[in-house]
Amino acid sequence: MQIELKTSLKALEKAKKLGPKGVLKRLDKMGVVGRGGASFPTGRKWKIALETSSDEKFVICNADEGEPGTFKDKLIIKKNAETMIEGILIAAYTIGAKRCFIYLRGEYDHLRIELETKIKEIIKKSGLAVTIEIIRGAGAYICGEETSIIQSIMGNRGHAMYKPPYPPVEGLWGKPTIVNNVETLTGVSQSILFDDWDSSLRLFSLSGNVENPGVYEFPLGVKMSKILDVVRSKNKIKAVSFGCFGGFMKIKKNMEITHENICKEGCQHGAFSMIFIDETHNIVDVSYTIAKFYTYESCGKCTPCREGTIRLLERIKQVKEGKATKKDLELLKEFAEHVQETSLCGLGQSAGNYILTGLKHFKSDYLEYLK
Amino acid sequence: MDKILINVLKEVQDNDGYISEKAMKNISVKYNVPLAKLYGVATFYAMFKIEKQGEHIIEICGSPSCMLNNGQKIEDFLEKELKIEVGKTTKNKKFSLYKTSCIGCCDEAPAMLMDGKPYTNLTIEKIKKILKKY
Repeated sequence: MQIELKTSLKALEKAKKLGPKGVLKRLDKMGVVGRGGASFPTGRKWKIALETSSDEKFVICNADEGEPGTFKDKLIIKKNAETMIEGILIAAYTIGAKRCFIYLRGEYDHLRIELETKIKEIIKKSGLAVTIEIIRGAGAYICGEETSIIQSIMGNRGHAMYKPPYPPVEGLWGKPTIVNNVETLTGVSQSILFDDWDSSLRLFSLSGNVENPGVYEFPLGVKMSKILDVVRSKNKIKAVSFGCFGGFMKIKKNMEITHENICKEGCQHGAFSMIFIDETHNIVDVSYTIAKFYTYESCGKCTPCREGTIRLLERIKQVKEGKATKKDLELLKEFAEHVQETSLCGLGQSAGNYILTGLKHFKSDYLEYLK
Repeated sequence: MDKILINVLKEVQDNDGYISEKAMKNISVKYNVPLAKLYGVATFYAMFKIEKQGEHIIEICGSPSCMLNNGQKIEDFLEKELKIEVGKTTKNKKFSLYKTSCIGCCDEAPAMLMDGKPYTNLTIEKIKKILKKY
């Protein structure tokens, strides 16, 4: 896999030769975009932080991989942490940061000691006067969101904040801060060193009712049939859920996995976490699991999300228990839309996707449960 | 601020098994953080506990990937075997049982963490053996 290629501090060397502006140009030219889900051009994010004058700047590597069904960053931390750390150093060099952080989710604490050793080794070898501290996440999904991660590091509850200001302008302690995902920073090192680095390759976390779950690397535009051939399943796969947040999609074997095609189905691909669901499962049952997830993880700051996710759980439970009517399904849809439209951050704004896409593509599963 | 509060709390959680009122008061004085704010932070994160826990903490993965691979059976079995509901501690104070959103072991579902260590591809037989070890 491309993601496993090591850059052995040669990318940092090259970055120093290019200079900060040269690095930005290189990232744009190579097509480096964020891999946490939003696909924002990395060079553009860094440019803002570089051009904002400040006595202090920060870099945060987001290793708070919390989306259920996602485990690609864990693979990188296990197999190629060196290249990710080098990416952090390149970011620090480019924007002029001295203090950097890796926000490691609490569930990955078992990877921490080894990661700490690698950080020490690489910083020493690099000769840069930069520190990288590991922040030990403590089990909060919302802290994968960039403004929440910043609040968490500052010692606050991990609440999401209104944007703007955006972190590259005003982040940690009010100073310019860039937040980049593990896969993005690994790609930064590789794209700077290797001229044949392929920007179309993405890591896919594949799980669910399949025989060969795991992390795979495919180019954008890969056909669904190819993915199905690789993961294989005992029973017929009827649906894919993009983590918990991205919604349910029907399996169309000829479909090319692109941003546009997934959007057309009313779904969001995020970090390409695909949970496959076979025909022995009802979408309402999976929705019940997802509803519990949202209720548990809502940070509680804004009312539509805090209260709305509880109401959605109640209504899904009502369907599951055979107590709902057709009219209740209409209300459910209306409610899900309302939560999405009025919530503050990405968590609440996606908290109805599984219901809206479930009702759109798998209505018959809901009808089976009606009284 | 140089000291990262969440890391300080995590250390206390690791060493004491929970973050007691006394520990919070100490941190409050040492780092000059209002006690009310500290309480707010300590109760925000799922892995921080403000009450005494069992000797070992079990966190069952509640992700759809685990649910689609018999995760519910694992949860039901643990509740039955330990004679407690999720969120509670056994009478002999040996185990506390929790459910988490996802532990990132979706390719080895169903899975759980025992004191932060992942146990994967769980079966009822496997869990019986794991419980005996602790």
